[in-house]
Amino acid sequence: MNWLNDNVNVLALMGAAAILILTIFVVGKYMRQMQNDKSSGELTKDNWDGIGEYKNPLPIGWALSFLGTIIWGLWYFLVGYPLNSYSQIGEYNEEVKSYNTHFESKFSNPDKTTLMGMGEGVFLVQCAPCHGVTGDGMNGKALNLSKWGNEDAVVATILNGAKGSDYPLGEMPAGLLDAESAKAVAAFMFKEISEVKNTKHPELIESGRALWATCAACHGDDGKGMAGSSPDLSTYGASKFVVNVLGMGKKGMIGNMPKFNDGRLTNVQKLAVGTYVNSLSK
Amino acid sequence: MFHWLERNPFFFAVGVFLVVAYAGVVTILPDFMESARPVVGTKPYSVLELAGRQIYIKDSCNACHSQLVRPFKSETDRYGMYSLSGEYAYDRPFLWGSKRTGPDLMRVGNYRTTDWHEYHMLNPKSVVPGSIMPAYKHMFKNNADIDTAYAEAYTVKTVFNVPYDKPDMPKLGTFDEAKKDAFEAAAVIVADMKSTEVKEAFKRGEIKEIVALVAYLNSLK
Ligand code: HEC
Ligand code: HEC
Ligand code: HEC
Repeated sequence: MNWLNDNVNVLALMGAAAILILTIFVVGKYMRQMQNDKSSGELTKDNWDGIGEYKNPLPIGWALSFLGTIIWGLWYFLVGYPLNSYSQIGEYNEEVKSYNTHFESKFSNPDKTTLMGMGEGVFLVQCAPCHGVTGDGMNGKALNLSKWGNEDAVVATILNGAKGSDYPLGEMPAGLLDAESAKAVAAFMFKEISEVKNTKHPELIESGRALWATCAACHGDDGKGMAGSSPDLSTYGASKFVVNVLGMGKKGMIGNMPKFNDGRLTNVQKLAVGTYVNSLSK
Repeated sequence: MFHWLERNPFFFAVGVFLVVAYAGVVTILPDFMESARPVVGTKPYSVLELAGRQIYIKDSCNACHSQLVRPFKSETDRYGMYSLSGEYAYDRPFLWGSKRTGPDLMRVGNYRTTDWHEYHMLNPKSVVPGSIMPAYKHMFKNNADIDTAYAEAYTVKTVFNVPYDKPDMPKLGTFDEAKKDAFEAAAVIVADMKSTEVKEAFKRGEIKEIVALVAYLNSLK
């Protein structure tokens, strides 16, 4: 590595050289003065243990800067500080505000690639410590997101039940249907209820429709969760479902996922991470 | 005018002291009185949390972790709301720390949970592949010191008037009551944990260090 490429190093080096030259110059000057100078002038009447003091006028530069400091001090004390008071929190608030306005205008209508990129970034910082860098849940330490949000996951949910987000309806019991019927309901749900509007098993839609009543009891005929009593399945498989999970947290069979409702993530970031999470299982 | 002062080193020193002290009093005290009061909602630690806090100090977590979120956007994005001085009103000693080898922990209770801490303290690399944080396996073996934690709580209550046993504040009570509460709080955490060693020990009436530490970490919000 050529360390002269770094301009901080170059600046530091130049500064060191300047200090060295100045020091040699100043020390040299005073050494010479001490060797050659003779004192002269009028003495004051003070005398401290034989050491006297000359009546020299103040050096003009010194006097001016002293006066300047006093004037500045008065200004700062009476006007500068009270009227213009600096606060660290104030600066923080301004920084956040300008950043947020910039963020909002830049990402008011994010396209899919932007969301994916942002989502991956958010995921790696906020979610990877639990879900793993690849979202695989690190051997069951958290949910394996590459197997979640698709039809198989709905089948698994029906077979195993679901709990932990504190919905008014409480838990979803395990084994509501057998595996075959669950598959059919999942197909129906993905085609007709969810925004995904697409299923891997179109042939099962009709038999699934007939079984939907089992689910409608809690999730409603339209699957929208009866005004918050249970999860809104129309968003299942899409980022809004994830946004909702982030708001509610989940203490389920695998472990405990914290809420993300303390303002650390903006709405766009939540949507973005939702898009990213759903892409893991596609 | 002040010529006489130059001949009186003692009065000169007094004069200097007065000038400097006055500046200090005027600038520091009002702000300090204002901001050192407990922020609304700040509560003293429960006995179990105090036991965990003592473990945190004993194992020098503060050598690598700070507990102070500064008002910068980069920090509040990662950790949450910046810290206020009133939030430390019941921290004795405060654990601001001065070096971040690892992340800040001021609000870790908001975004990490009991099960995660368990994996992480047992083997940090199992959840954060490149982690350089040491494993703390002994915490799954050693018992937490509830007695000393109670002594600490009792001391700060009597000496510094820390508001235990006040309305809306944590209960302390007698040692037996406090111990019972600590076990109830520990039961919740043990239930969320996976380690059979810790669960077995809890059934025998022992609270392992990890349980107290997690209680403390969960309380950091
Ligand atoms: C007894 C009421 C009830 C019934 C019946 C019910 N659910 Fe649920 N369901 C819930 C509740 C409550 C939750 C939220 C659980 C939680 O996370 O706290 C849920 C969650 C879900 C989830 C989300 C799982 C996740 O990963 O978050 C899906 C998908 C689901 N239900 C599908 C179904 C389907 C399909 C049926 C019909 C076979 C059905 N549910 C029947 C109450 C019910
Ligand atoms: C402290 C660890 C932790 C963090 C951080 C975390 N999760 Fe989770 N998450 C979990 C655990 C554990 C579960 C499984 C809960 C269960 O079902 O037992 C889970 C479940 C989920 C689910 C499924 C919820 C459902 O209804 O089935 C989604 C989606 C999810 N996490 C997304 C995220 C996203 C996105 C982030 C980052 C913004 C994140 N998680 C951060 C631990 C975590
Ligand atoms: C040698 C320095 C070091 C010491 C000592 C140390 N840590 Fe860490 N800690 C780290 C590093 C580095 C990380 C980041 C990597 C990781 O998450 O493992 C970390 C991460 C953490 C995290 C996760 C925080 C987050 O936001 O992801 C917690 C919680 C934590 N440490 C708790 C502790 C506790 C409790 C102790 C004392 C028992 C401790 N640490 C001692 C270096 C240290």
